[in-house]
Amino acid sequence: MRYIKIFSFILASLLFSTSCQDALDINTNPLVASSADPNVLLPFVIIQYSNRHTTELGTRIMDVPQHFSACFNSPRNGNTSIFLTGNTWGMYYTQVLGNLQLVEQDARDAGPSSNNVAAIAIILKAQSFFELSSIWENVPFSEALDGASFPSPNFDSQESIFRGVVSFLDEAIGLIDGMPAEGVFDVSTGDLIYEGDMDKWRKLANSMKLRTLMMLRNVDASVDGAINAALGQPLIENNADAAMLRYYNTPAESNGYNRLVEAFFGIGNEAQGVYAPGDPLYELLWGSGDPRTELIISDPDSAGAPGNGQFAFGVGGATITNNVIRNDIPHMIFLPAEVNFYRAELALKGVTGDNAQEQFNLGLTNIIKWWGQDIPGAELTASSDAIAAYVDGLPALTNDEDGLRRVHEQQYLETFLRPVVAWNTVRRTGFPELKPPPGTNITTYLKRFNYPPDEVSSNPNTPANPNTDVPMWFEN
Amino acid sequence: MKGILFFVVMLLSIIAYTQTTVTGVVTDESGQSLIGANVLVKGTSIGAVTDFDGNYSIDVPDGSGILVFSYTGFQELEITIAGQSTINVALAEGTTLDEIVVTALGIEKQSSTLGYSIDEVSGSDLTQARESNILNSLQGKVTGVNISNTSGNLGGSAKIIIRGVTSLSGRNDPLFVVDGIPISNNQTTTGSRITGNRDFGNGASVINPDDIATMSVLKGAAATALYGSRAAAGAIIITTKRGESNGGNAKVSINSSLRFDDLFITPGYQQDYAMGALNKYDSSSVGFDWGPRIVGQTVDNLPAKGGPGQLQAVEDNGVKKFFETGKSYINNLAISDASDRMDYRLSFGALNQTGIVPGSSLDRYNISLNAGVNHNANFSSRFGVQFINTNSEGTAAAGANDPNIIGLSSFSSNLDPDWYTPWIDDAGNQINNVTPTSNNPYWLRFENKNEREDNRVLANFSMTYNPFDNLSISGKVGYDYDQDNRLLTNRKGTAQRIDGNFIVDKLNRTQLNTDIIANYNTDLGESLTLSVLGGFNYNNRTFSRETLTSTSLLVPELFDPGNTAQNVPTRAFSEQVLFGLYGQAELGYKDFLTLSLTGRNDWSSTLPTNNNSYFYPSASAAFLFSNAFNISDKVLSYGKLRASYAQVGNDTGPYQLDFNFFPITTATGQYSLNINFPFNSRLAFAKSNTIPPENLKPESQVSYELGAELKFFDYRLGLDVTYFKSENTDQILALPIPETTGFGFLRTNVGQVNTSGWEITLDATPISTKNFRWETMVNFSNPKTEVVKLAEGVDRVLIASGFSSVQVVAEEGKGFELFAIPFLIDSASGRPLINPVDGTRQAGIAKTMGSVLPDFSMGFVNTFRLGNFSVTGTVDWRSGGVMKSSTVENLQTGGLVIETAGNRQGTFIDRSGVLDNGDGTVRENDIPLSSTTAFWQSIDDNSIAEPFIFDASYVKLRELAITYSLPESVLGSTFIRGASIGVEGRNVALLYSKVPHVDPENTLFGSGADGFGIERASTPSTRSLGFNLRLTF
Repeated sequence: MRYIKIFSFILASLLFSTSCQDALDINTNPLVASSADPNVLLPFVIIQYSNRHTTELGTRIMDVPQHFSACFNSPRNGNTSIFLTGNTWGMYYTQVLGNLQLVEQDARDAGPSSNNVAAIAIILKAQSFFELSSIWENVPFSEALDGASFPSPNFDSQESIFRGVVSFLDEAIGLIDGMPAEGVFDVSTGDLIYEGDMDKWRKLANSMKLRTLMMLRNVDASVDGAINAALGQPLIENNADAAMLRYYNTPAESNGYNRLVEAFFGIGNEAQGVYAPGDPLYELLWGSGDPRTELIISDPDSAGAPGNGQFAFGVGGATITNNVIRNDIPHMIFLPAEVNFYRAELALKGVTGDNAQEQFNLGLTNIIKWWGQDIPGAELTASSDAIAAYVDGLPALTNDEDGLRRVHEQQYLETFLRPVVAWNTVRRTGFPELKPPPGTNITTYLKRFNYPPDEVSSNPNTPANPNTDVPMWFEN
Repeated sequence: MKGILFFVVMLLSIIAYTQTTVTGVVTDESGQSLIGANVLVKGTSIGAVTDFDGNYSIDVPDGSGILVFSYTGFQELEITIAGQSTINVALAEGTTLDEIVVTALGIEKQSSTLGYSIDEVSGSDLTQARESNILNSLQGKVTGVNISNTSGNLGGSAKIIIRGVTSLSGRNDPLFVVDGIPISNNQTTTGSRITGNRDFGNGASVINPDDIATMSVLKGAAATALYGSRAAAGAIIITTKRGESNGGNAKVSINSSLRFDDLFITPGYQQDYAMGALNKYDSSSVGFDWGPRIVGQTVDNLPAKGGPGQLQAVEDNGVKKFFETGKSYINNLAISDASDRMDYRLSFGALNQTGIVPGSSLDRYNISLNAGVNHNANFSSRFGVQFINTNSEGTAAAGANDPNIIGLSSFSSNLDPDWYTPWIDDAGNQINNVTPTSNNPYWLRFENKNEREDNRVLANFSMTYNPFDNLSISGKVGYDYDQDNRLLTNRKGTAQRIDGNFIVDKLNRTQLNTDIIANYNTDLGESLTLSVLGGFNYNNRTFSRETLTSTSLLVPELFDPGNTAQNVPTRAFSEQVLFGLYGQAELGYKDFLTLSLTGRNDWSSTLPTNNNSYFYPSASAAFLFSNAFNISDKVLSYGKLRASYAQVGNDTGPYQLDFNFFPITTATGQYSLNINFPFNSRLAFAKSNTIPPENLKPESQVSYELGAELKFFDYRLGLDVTYFKSENTDQILALPIPETTGFGFLRTNVGQVNTSGWEITLDATPISTKNFRWETMVNFSNPKTEVVKLAEGVDRVLIASGFSSVQVVAEEGKGFELFAIPFLIDSASGRPLINPVDGTRQAGIAKTMGSVLPDFSMGFVNTFRLGNFSVTGTVDWRSGGVMKSSTVENLQTGGLVIETAGNRQGTFIDRSGVLDNGDGTVRENDIPLSSTTAFWQSIDDNSIAEPFIFDASYVKLRELAITYSLPESVLGSTFIRGASIGVEGRNVALLYSKVPHVDPENTLFGSGADGFGIERASTPSTRSLGFNLRLTF
């Protein structure tokens, strides 16, 4: 029995020695961090947002507002695939908003010295919720991002979301105004949009507020007071203040539109014919004398647009230029011309005392200069003289339906290459009047996405899906 | 670990020996050698198994005692050794069946004492028709085991599920144990199904079938209780061959096979219509044969080759030209010897294969040594080491979004694959591709590399000390080391990877396992025996991986990060530790009742430190009623009842308890259009998408089984019936939560999955004469998985995602189901609702479309022996379950197959559909489709999967082997002691299937995922025929 005793002793010592407990205490991943700085979280948020936005929405739904003639796996015919909806939804809620929520919380805990970080996080959150509601109408907002209190968030109405977005932006502006004079957290590394320039962020917040109020105004004119107040605050009114994420001419850092062409077709969109202008875009620009036309559309044989629902590589015809579909074209978030055209629209509608013609001309000048001069990396340019000649040569803006139509058409052109804003603009203004694409399964052009199955199956509060041709609240 | 060292030193300090080896031949009464007969030193666990020629060799302590010879269907025979070194026996047919089987921890037991069912397959059965992946050899031979193959890819993985799926979190793989040491059966793919991946096989596929003495399949929790949580899904216990004495000479065995692989199934291609669309010829539309009727017309532009020529159909769309005849050379040389003091076996295995996909090859070399020494009467040691080197090239791509994928729908009626040659010009440019944006398939096969080198070492060392007769103490240390290096390249100029890229993927996996076991046996008076076992287990597993993805090469074919514009390195690491303490008490009453109790406690590093310990008990009983009631008549020869109950806990993966921020190298985009960090010199981190668990508990499984084993007519007929049921609760799952919470998943204990079913085996020897013998075996099992409960508000959980909205889900109230989009139907008539605009069918809302697992599976194994000839065949029947085939989808929507050749001219009305009148009524469809093309292409519009979902039932002639053993009269005067030649075939014929054009067995998923029932662009499966030569001298 001596051996049994020895054996038992060995077992006992092995099992109950502290070394065993130490040996079990290894469940910490050596390749992760337990906390993260906004200067590394914000780059993830901004770039992940931009890349998903460009490759998922940009390359797939730019044919919905008919800026492009056709996109791959497009929902234009009424069916929003679960990949399109699921990937987009997940990007907004988990990758962007989920991380921003943590950035904002940490910044608030740190006090006023991190007001700038909190403000940036809130502005980006506002932008995400604005786009989410623009795509799906009713989405979780007030109960979102708080799984502990709301494991199955309820869906808010579009009206309350848009009003909430305005409040978010007011809150961000308040935080910026409350920043201490010194000792502010340096967020210039993580802020890939403005490198920590909070004056510009303040302008962006106020401009986004204006954009959101314009959506509300479509239904509720009582926001006119708020609109006038916003117009009294600094706005993005100069191309130097444009909100954008820059891309570069390296494979790892280039814009998704062109990466799609190069990865699956070959070099150069004009040669490959992947993206072509939709009929309304072509009709508004081609032959108009607008100096933007050649910057955006290539049609050496004047063959015309290939037609809605058609790719140029199948049938030939006009294409979007290599000047647009290039590696280093920036992701544009907000351009000053949008403000100018809102001002022109509001002046024509008698909401403000602005000079509609002046704002219209300013908007046109700003946007053509953007494409012809100020956009980083432009390959084709337009001279200031040519721009002035074109703008000055246009007939005067009349204070009637026709004048408003011309403003709306310019708003439509202004949103080029920005899928959600372009889609919003055409749904808000009704101009240009879009025809349903050939072979569509719905009665109009696409009005909304369906909710992704993952949310439907995991959140019992998800409402039933309306048909994808049912207009949203803001359109009524 | 100090204690283990101390123990080893203690054991080493006592060395001496007195032992003899007994050798001999076991035959039947006619002199025919018996393969796989058991030889046991009575009252000990010392045993041996006879080889192909009936030879055995056994080391007997003291050179005294009694040898017990047993073989299924034959009378057991006991012979007193009394100093003899050679004992040849001839067994008479039919009496006690008391085989020795290998149970958990490698403990050999008499099968009559087991309270649970166990299946043992001998090495010779596994090498009847040799398979390069050992798992495939079990197909049809073991009850209750479901093995699925991914494709005809060389070295591809096989997935094994024992007694149905029980886990929602992918822990359905059995534990693999080789010579007492757990080994990794992991499968890690490079790339994903979304980005395209390569299946380099499952971890256990490297085992050399020629080295295997026996393979035991432990199915229930009671059988695996001593292994603990890791064997919650069953265990496969492999015992490798040991050295045998050969009358004073080394024994040399040679086993050589040459095998030829060809396409198992050729789709029924239509040969009447050419490439193109809307009856117009288009030389660029590979895989879309909607062009004009082929009438020998001359066209301006032939595909690939270019220039004018005559349109002509190529037989079978050229697939038989493109896919080659694969060749496999399987050679094994084993040298072994044994004496009373030592035994050893050294084996060299070589598997050299080329695949049916051009440019694919696999070479695997196994060197294994298994040796033991009896230092003295009380002390022995043993060690085994296997070194396995696997090199493969040109492994075919699977999944999606990878230009290298070539499937059966990548061919066209009038495109001769010969026109693709040559595929490269002197300047290194791709040529003879049909369009600049598509690839020449030979370019893909010969210019883009898929190289993999895997080095695996499986080593074990054990010592056993018997301080006195009834006590043994043994210690065993095992190590599994795997270094897996991969290089995947796309040459510059590959369409869709125009600038070229490469991926270097280095994976390392280790497993250290130690067991210390003490075993004590005693008699408690006249009729009671007691056997007590106690043990301690330490297990440590690590995994590390480094991957470099580099894009845009400057100099072609120079695979260095300095030569590329974009380099993305990633790293991964994990480690987990498990301590286990276990014990077993087995009480035997007379010769008919055995009661066994086990208990094991595990401590796992992966669980919260305050809740990382879990205990689980099991109890089993075996009642040999034929002995108890002395029933032994001509009809019933043997009868046993068994029952068992077991509870098992289970831990989770490492690093799942903390909330973390991960360094990110990739911002993902659609179509794999990813961006990399650092971006403009910015680093990026992101939060985890999973909320870590609070108060995580171990998973729990409660199971029981009842069974009966009956033998009739002097063992000529046997019936084994088992009913099993298990309830799996507290599953640790990353539960999908609304993404609107900011997170995608919450890791928590949820749900209940019940699995139950019957296993029935019937074996018989209907005919047995001096010259002719027919043995037959039928097995049946119907494991049914029911998802009893998920979480609050969750109806279904994603198990694996396919493509085009097709998923495998676990749905509450059902099992593992295919979830896909059906046609929109009129609920009253059940007929498709037609789109009034264009006459096409429309998409409905995604729903479950049937179980992806079979209702039941059966195997039929028949062996006929006529003189020196023997014929063995295995038929495999799987019934029920559905599959979605993307290959069929592509073949049909591409107009490639015969059913699409009708009605090509003019318009077409889909008469099976109805039109909605808008008032709740419907009318017969009268809206014409614009063309037949429109019909076939519209049936999968908007991701409709319904027309491509099929009943996946099949019956296959899985293997067939014909062997001729040269009679001794021929060999008599030569040095050769045994020789046989044979013809062998695998996947010989598909006898029944409802899936058109493809093998119903193919799946998209490898062994790494619980995905079943989805097929997509897989490498076509193969039929193998070959020749075999075995020699011993």
